[in-house]
Amino acid sequence: MNKLVKLFITSISAITLALVSFTSSFAKVEGDYIVLGSAISLTGKYSSNGVHTQNGYNMAVDRINKMGGVEVQGKKYKFEIIYYDDESNPKRAAQLAERLIKQDGVHYMLGPYSSGLTKAIAPVTEKYKIPMVEANGASRSLFTKGYKYLFAVLSPANQYLEVAIDLAVEKNGGKGVRIAQAFEQDAFSQDVRLGILDAAKRTGSEIIIDDKLPKELNDMAATLAKVKATKPDVLVVSGHTKGALTAIRQISEMKVDVPMLAMTHCDAAKLSKQHGKKSEYALCASQWHKNLSYKDKFFGGGKKYAKDFQKEFGYDPPYQSAESSAALLVFKDAFERANSFDRDAVRDALVDTEMQTFYGNIKFGPGGQNVAKPMILFQVRCKGDDCENRVVAPTKWASDKFYHPIPKWSERS
Amino acid sequence: MNKVKQKDLILYSGLIILGLAAPFLFSAFKVQLTYLCVLIVLAMTWNLQGGEMGYNTFGNILFYGLGMYLTASVQVGMFFPLAEWTESGGEKTFVHTTAQYFQGIGVGLLVSAIVPAIVAGAIGYAILGLRGHYFAICTLGLGIAAGEIAGGIEIIGAGQGFTTPPFPAEIVDTEARGKFFYFLSFALLIGTFVFVKYIYGSRFRLILNAIRDNEDKAEAMGIQTMKYKIVGWMCSAFFCGLAGGIMGGLIGYIDSTDVAFDGREMGVFMVLMAILGGKGTLWGPVIGATLFHFFKEGLWTLILGWQYVALGVLIVVIVVYFPEGLMGWLREKYPERFGEVIDEKDRKAQVELK
Repeated sequence: MNKLVKLFITSISAITLALVSFTSSFAKVEGDYIVLGSAISLTGKYSSNGVHTQNGYNMAVDRINKMGGVEVQGKKYKFEIIYYDDESNPKRAAQLAERLIKQDGVHYMLGPYSSGLTKAIAPVTEKYKIPMVEANGASRSLFTKGYKYLFAVLSPANQYLEVAIDLAVEKNGGKGVRIAQAFEQDAFSQDVRLGILDAAKRTGSEIIIDDKLPKELNDMAATLAKVKATKPDVLVVSGHTKGALTAIRQISEMKVDVPMLAMTHCDAAKLSKQHGKKSEYALCASQWHKNLSYKDKFFGGGKKYAKDFQKEFGYDPPYQSAESSAALLVFKDAFERANSFDRDAVRDALVDTEMQTFYGNIKFGPGGQNVAKPMILFQVRCKGDDCENRVVAPTKWASDKFYHPIPKWSERS
Repeated sequence: MNKVKQKDLILYSGLIILGLAAPFLFSAFKVQLTYLCVLIVLAMTWNLQGGEMGYNTFGNILFYGLGMYLTASVQVGMFFPLAEWTESGGEKTFVHTTAQYFQGIGVGLLVSAIVPAIVAGAIGYAILGLRGHYFAICTLGLGIAAGEIAGGIEIIGAGQGFTTPPFPAEIVDTEARGKFFYFLSFALLIGTFVFVKYIYGSRFRLILNAIRDNEDKAEAMGIQTMKYKIVGWMCSAFFCGLAGGIMGGLIGYIDSTDVAFDGREMGVFMVLMAILGGKGTLWGPVIGATLFHFFKEGLWTLILGWQYVALGVLIVVIVVYFPEGLMGWLREKYPERFGEVIDEKDRKAQVELK
């Protein structure tokens, strides 16, 4: 027993020493580098979108560093990002945010992927007064908690598909429509649902199916069977990438005929590539599309960004990547205007942000959400076997006319 | 006997001092230390069922999640309308004053200890008649079902999740929150340890062991096994609920399946930690949880993307090479240090016989 106790005490003191020597935290700005921190979902259910986000961040960091970096008080600095994998788990994300701030000494944060994870990280960054520019947390409840250090470059989630309902009502001659909807049980999708509820109330539409889908969703046949039986005017589905893929797969398998299909995350799911013609006519909400005519000096316009991104990572950038790149542009701009590394000065500069990026105009509202940029809708259209996303709303950016109603499966080749 | 006690005293007071000093020594690691305390509590309470009673439960996560939701709900519900707090479309912002925050969390924790214990009693009455893997599978379902149900209850945020009250803004010290939760969890750890140690010296443990070794015989001896099984589970639920309540406040955001009823992570970790350290021992779960936490925090980030593969390898290694856990392995190697007397002559005789 004696030896065991001794061994125990020795090992504890060894660990103690090791930890104490680790505790000395690094500075927010190391030499020529401004260190940003981010917890990203590299594994788990958000891993594909997590990688889109990370690619977006990396693309912008490379570009900004290559083009001279960030100038603060006459000195040029470069960006560097410390990444951790949050495993798509809010608990882990909150812990990693703490770790980034306390152990790695990060003073400026970039957001994680998804609303749920942003919700988990925001209380931490808020507590330590760390400015966080996030590009992938759209849930409306993020912006009603009175957070002062949270800035989102994207439009809130409830706006995603409201426009789609308006479109459906318009096609129905201004009369209310019958809506069937199915949403994943997570913060983001449930917020999209609230947006639809608002729109339905406003337009006098009726919701006839209101289903909840499990996380990690791979099957929604039960909902689709109901849709087949009740024949609604619009089917709305939201459940991140997996939701979009599952919906198209099963709708085409079950040959569900519905005049209008509105979804989210079509481009992140590479729907037009993965499912080709089966995904045709699907209407998708998007934060960004490469055909929009916004411009900035780092990436040029959307088309140029898409081309460069394609060259670097080998696929067309989904909006998740574009908005993530934009977050870095916002940070750069804020640092230069603040002309200081003081957190509160940077935070105040972020509040005053008003700029145009290739991704869209950015100006933060009182809750931290971007109020300067509308959502867009695109529709998947095919020529032969070659499918593409075409912008159909709002009319200012529309390159194509909205095709309605979707032809029945029996009439589709 | 006295000598042993003195040694224990040194060990325990040393550990308590270390525990009290830890948040000041390793200020940056407070959150990880809080996690460690909670993990140890979960492993120790799991050990009561899995190790002592021989009932491998995956259901303890139910009490943990329940405690989490209860604490947060009480903390909010005492002062503000809960439905408006969790409704994300609500434009109103509610702020707890310092006194409200601490009163709320105090009452919340009380509720989160009692209610899970009662729930454990009720569920235990229904399912503790099952044995072996039937019981394991049944409890596995409990956690999953609870997650899905919680994800559908609007008043606690449903799929939106539940943002727990932020730490009062009037306390300017940014370290205060970390310290508060650390000491809360450390107190819970001490409470749990003292309780489990008390059980280890009591007849209750012998009964649990009897149930594990041969339940039918125990019953034939006149022990009301059902009663003891239920009470044992209620004890675990009591501490699991408290652990959940503390974690909810620390994380700040409760999600039904990923944070509260997180059977896939916490639910599995608590089993793994107890087995790693050695189930059926007092110190096993403590050592197992500590090692596991260090492994996780230390290596996890070095092998980005491969951490679950590493975890899988770890599980295989534990099961193949240390089926009895570290404590069991040590016990086999150095039995005399565990107070086991070995008759050298007898041992040699056995060797020669082979």
